Amino acid sequence: MPLRLENISVRFGGIAALTGVNLEVADDSVVGLVGPNGAGKTTLFNVISGLVRPTEGSARFGDTDLVKGKIHNRARAGIGRTFQIPQPLHELTVRENLMVAQRFGAGRIDPSRIDEILDFLNLTHKADAQAATDLALSEQKALEVGKALATEPKLLMLDEVLAGLETSGKRAFMTMLARLHREWNLAMIVIEHDIETISRLCQRCVVLNFGKVIADGTPDAVFRDPEVRRSYTGTGAAEHA
Amino acid sequence: MRAFPIAIVAACYLVVPVVLGSNDYILSLVIAALTLAAIALSWALLGNLGGMVSFGHAAFFGVGAYTSALLAKDLGVPVFLAMLAGGAGAALASVVTMPALRLRGPYFALAILAYAQIFRILANQMTGVTGGAGGILSIPPLPTVFGFDFSSKLGAYLVILTLLVLGILAYKAIRDSYWGLALKAMHDSEDATRVIGVPSTRLKAAMLVVSAFMAGVAGAFNAHVIGFLEPDYAFAGTWSVIPVVAAIFGGYRTLSGPILGALVIYLLDQLLFKTLMPQGHQIMFGVLLGAMILFSPSGLLPLLTKPFARFKPAKRTPTPEKRHAAAA
Ligand SMILES: Nc1ncnc2c1ncn2[C@@H]1O[C@H](COP(=O)(O)OP(=O)(O)OP(=O)(O)O)[C@@H](O)[C@H]1O
Ligand SMILES: [Mg+2]
Repeated sequence: MPLRLENISVRFGGIAALTGVNLEVADDSVVGLVGPNGAGKTTLFNVISGLVRPTEGSARFGDTDLVKGKIHNRARAGIGRTFQIPQPLHELTVRENLMVAQRFGAGRIDPSRIDEILDFLNLTHKADAQAATDLALSEQKALEVGKALATEPKLLMLDEVLAGLETSGKRAFMTMLARLHREWNLAMIVIEHDIETISRLCQRCVVLNFGKVIADGTPDAVFRDPEVRRSYTGTGAAEHA
Repeated sequence: MRAFPIAIVAACYLVVPVVLGSNDYILSLVIAALTLAAIALSWALLGNLGGMVSFGHAAFFGVGAYTSALLAKDLGVPVFLAMLAGGAGAALASVVTMPALRLRGPYFALAILAYAQIFRILANQMTGVTGGAGGILSIPPLPTVFGFDFSSKLGAYLVILTLLVLGILAYKAIRDSYWGLALKAMHDSEDATRVIGVPSTRLKAAMLVVSAFMAGVAGAFNAHVIGFLEPDYAFAGTWSVIPVVAAIFGGYRTLSGPILGALVIYLLDQLLFKTLMPQGHQIMFGVLLGAMILFSPSGLLPLLTKPFARFKPAKRTPTPEKRHAAAA
């Protein structure tokens, strides 16, 4: 059930957040999405999850129209995402967060599956903690992934889930993400600034700059591209070379 | 349900009739207070669970009252059935107000206030159906069933008590269901909730319908108890204001708050303020509310329970099976 975006543009007043973006993501691939701050990465996720309506272009996920469809139908269609700034469901416990996601996003009730997700994300000991107030950052990020997983997605979009974690936390999370792809059999789009992460996790990398796709290929090829390196001047791309 | 609430409900059914059964004055005060509590509870279904503050519950109260009164009087529909139809009429009226659901916070509250005015004007203008400003007189009273006269004070008391108890059970069932969880989550994380598949507008609309239904039944009950209706009474601002005041006074976003608030406010007003200052005693609501917000912002309940804080029960999480049943 591939994702297909054609000529997607988003304008916020005078700002062109995305301009003519084409993107296809196949069923089981892991695609890295990189680009400098303000490049439009999160906006692209928002288009796919329905929070932002594109000014132009068409977007489909299998049979689901992503331009016109309702936000809440996308979870059932198999699209899951995390938020760059974690957005736990306020006033609910960690377990309740996953219960709501499963009941409404997957359309079924299966407590043992929720236990599995909690266990996979190392959140079992926090199952009854208040999600909005009682979690460390790494746990909030894990819960972001958990909410998405509980909806049983076919496509998982991760928006900088590693950002802000310390090195050891990052490594653990990386291992988890790699396992996710292998064991849970889902396509992923991974936004991450850290090029090493992208190189390890993804077979393919798409680079956005000022709302345009400026490169699309294997991470190695992409990070050697002069235009990409120019857009990233002084950041990871240069170090990686 | 725990033992304590069951004991209170049992006392309301068994002890109150025995103790107050022959005191019609006190009973009619209690009936009026319980009617307000029922409106406050219906308001709380939308305000507490749905997260939408309504300044216009008079709309649903009034539509319920008129629907039931007209069905019973003009078409001879049995009164209890007409009361249900009153609830259904109010629920239908709430569908008209649904465009307001897109509005947030104070805008929703104001829009629904406007709807209440529109319904009042309609009731005034549609003289052919509603009798216009002249109102409807001799509305059929509550019936006698199996030899028990529900139109007596005691009978009316038992009816409104039962309506309130059913409302409380519905509130609890919704609160403890998956819907309740999702609604709770929507208060502060609407986008995050929708992204995981919660049809948030649909849930809010459902809460509006349920809330309007309950307010409509309360309005219908009241119409058959007092026997007459006129637009300025049925759609009076009082029915909109009391639940808000009661909820703030008793404790916003709790179940017991609005009910307790309505009872205490009404009885205080009728038994104390009205005696002390026969004119303009309503001003004491304002004073009381101000004092409440200053000294106990989370309502009446903490004031009452503070001395017993040690006995506060731990927060319960309902079992998945129970939620399943409620969500199904
Ligand atoms: N809701 C919005 N309203 C107005 N402008 C917006 C909105 N969302 C994003 N923008 C603007 O669109 C551009 C792209 O933002 P976006 O958040 O997609 O970038 P990003 O690539 O995710 O950046 P970062 O790496 O900092 O997260 C920015 O200029 C941003 O200010
Ligand atoms: Mg971003």
